[in-house]
Amino acid sequence: MKLIKDKVAKLSFVALLITVTAAMFYVPTASAHGEKSQAAFMRMRTIHWFDMNWSKEEVAVNDTMTISGKFFVFQGWPETVDKPEISFLNVGIPGPVFIRAGSWVGGQLVPRSVSLELGETYEFKVLLKARRPGDWHVHSMMNVQGGGPIIGPGKWVTITGSMKDFVNPVTTLTGETINLETYNLENTYFWHALWYALGLAWLFYWARKPMFVPRSIAVEAGKADSLITSTDKKVALAFAVGTLVIVATSMGATNEKYPITTPLQAGLLRGMKPIEMPARTISVKVDDATYRVPGRAMQMTLTITNNGDSAVRLGEFNTAGVRFLDPAVSVDESGYPDDLLAEEGLTVSDNSPLAPGQSRTVQVTASDAAWEVYRLADLIYDPDSRFAGLLFFYDEAGNRQMITVDAPLIPSFI
Amino acid sequence: MSASQSAVRSRAEAVKVSRTFDWLILFTLFFVVLGGYHIHYMLTGGDWDFWTDWKDRRLWVTVAPIVSITFPAAVQACLWWRYRLPFGAVVCVLGLLLGEWVNRYLNFWGWTYFPVNFCFPSNLMPGAIVLDVILMLGGSVTLTAVVGGLAYGLLFYPGNWPVIAPLHVPVEYNGMMMTLADLQGYHYVRTGTPEYIRMVEKGTLRTFGKDVAPVSAFFSGFVSIIIYFLWHFFGKWFAQTTFISSDDL
Ligand SMILES: [Cu+2]
Repeated sequence: MKLIKDKVAKLSFVALLITVTAAMFYVPTASAHGEKSQAAFMRMRTIHWFDMNWSKEEVAVNDTMTISGKFFVFQGWPETVDKPEISFLNVGIPGPVFIRAGSWVGGQLVPRSVSLELGETYEFKVLLKARRPGDWHVHSMMNVQGGGPIIGPGKWVTITGSMKDFVNPVTTLTGETINLETYNLENTYFWHALWYALGLAWLFYWARKPMFVPRSIAVEAGKADSLITSTDKKVALAFAVGTLVIVATSMGATNEKYPITTPLQAGLLRGMKPIEMPARTISVKVDDATYRVPGRAMQMTLTITNNGDSAVRLGEFNTAGVRFLDPAVSVDESGYPDDLLAEEGLTVSDNSPLAPGQSRTVQVTASDAAWEVYRLADLIYDPDSRFAGLLFFYDEAGNRQMITVDAPLIPSFI
Repeated sequence: MSASQSAVRSRAEAVKVSRTFDWLILFTLFFVVLGGYHIHYMLTGGDWDFWTDWKDRRLWVTVAPIVSITFPAAVQACLWWRYRLPFGAVVCVLGLLLGEWVNRYLNFWGWTYFPVNFCFPSNLMPGAIVLDVILMLGGSVTLTAVVGGLAYGLLFYPGNWPVIAPLHVPVEYNGMMMTLADLQGYHYVRTGTPEYIRMVEKGTLRTFGKDVAPVSAFFSGFVSIIIYFLWHFFGKWFAQTTFISSDDL
């Protein structure tokens, strides 16, 4: 029995230590490298990021850069993920290494959550101001309530300089310009120090006298009342009155110093303006699709019909931020991240221009190590083994048309 | 209390040992409370206490006192009824604030680089002092719960206002109005805390116009009364000695 008690005591002590440690060492999530561990279907069938551009690869502290592009909200949004009715345009960076100086969807500033429509394409831009030096993987990101973060493609960006030099000037509506990086800091320290000191004074008023053992004995002997003297009562009253006076006067002084304050701003932003996409004149039917595990390649049989008035060629297959290009048709000039770009990853059995009014069945292969590196191949282990992505066709004049595909995928292990 | 059975041989020695015990117990109490209270407060108050853009006039004001009166009530029950020591609430808040400041300074700022002016803790000290004084002067649970609990809820917002008000100054930012606190939340990117999980300015107090903070504070005070009772009795129960059998001593 004694042994068990000792063990329990020991275990509770360990548990206590863990608790203290856990609480004191809590760090808010800063890492943004969940990109590869996110289920493949989440990345393939929710938000498709394209025309991505990172304005700089190296930026000095206090300088700005932008991530911009477009995203298509997939119509075949998976059942298991909540619709993006409440979403927040975020950036995937490891904590505030940049500050988000601005973010826009369809030209509208989006500091708060927005409502997005399935099947629509939106333009977005995030303005970042460099704060902390280092090499950072910078992603676009959409948080969807009930769906979690949907991470877009990431690119390495280097911040140079020193964080000590970072400033964040903001001009308030009362006409003052402040540095938000350090604003109100001294005031915060002052009030916390003052109140902490008052608390300590109260504690030490009692701790300077004998505490636990003698007082416990006195209480048990029925002499509890003798433990509080009339001086104690006066001191206590002074503490209470002092507290009320400090609270009241500091509040009054604060209101005088800051006569204009407003409540925090919150609430969903609706009516995001989508891009008017050109009318679709190409139709694509997926006859079948297989993923060859050993070849790290996806093969699709597509029947393409051109209902437009210009001959078209298939230039790109884009899924989960990975771009497979046919170099004869489409070349990347935006400095897209290498690991997500298969410059010669797309082969089409017959990619000669498809004349208006014609229809053709072709074999399309998208192959690249990215299938494995970005764990997209894992989608063959998904409960609903489907793939989805964007096909980009180009006509003779170089106009681009975006077609979405969404079809079952059969894995092939040999 | 016969000296022949004791390990100490003189009264002076007994006093010295007793003092040593005092400090040992106080030290242990402080850190035990720090750990338990801190994790409790993080789990229940969480983001409301972490970020300035959660510190609003409705929910923060309501939630923080309700979830933070717990440990003070319990520790008061133990220290007052067994030792007539009236610093239960203050010692809890001293522990909590130390733990919070260590966490915010070393982890939020030192490790993740969120500015301290964005992630400092809330001030709970005014309510704690008043709670201790009321229990000491009145010596009654009911009085402490009713008057103290209400005061604890009411003092929270004004006690934090000198630190929070400067952050509620409005700015115009790219054609939208927001407060500096909102702007902090927008600027200092939290990938794990998207804007929509922020619970601020929600509720049904719309009919009170712009004076929602006092109404929220009153509501918080009333709930704090109930929570105070509950946790005071938890504290009393835990402070029992009946489950320590005498042959172990
Ligand atoms: Cu990354």
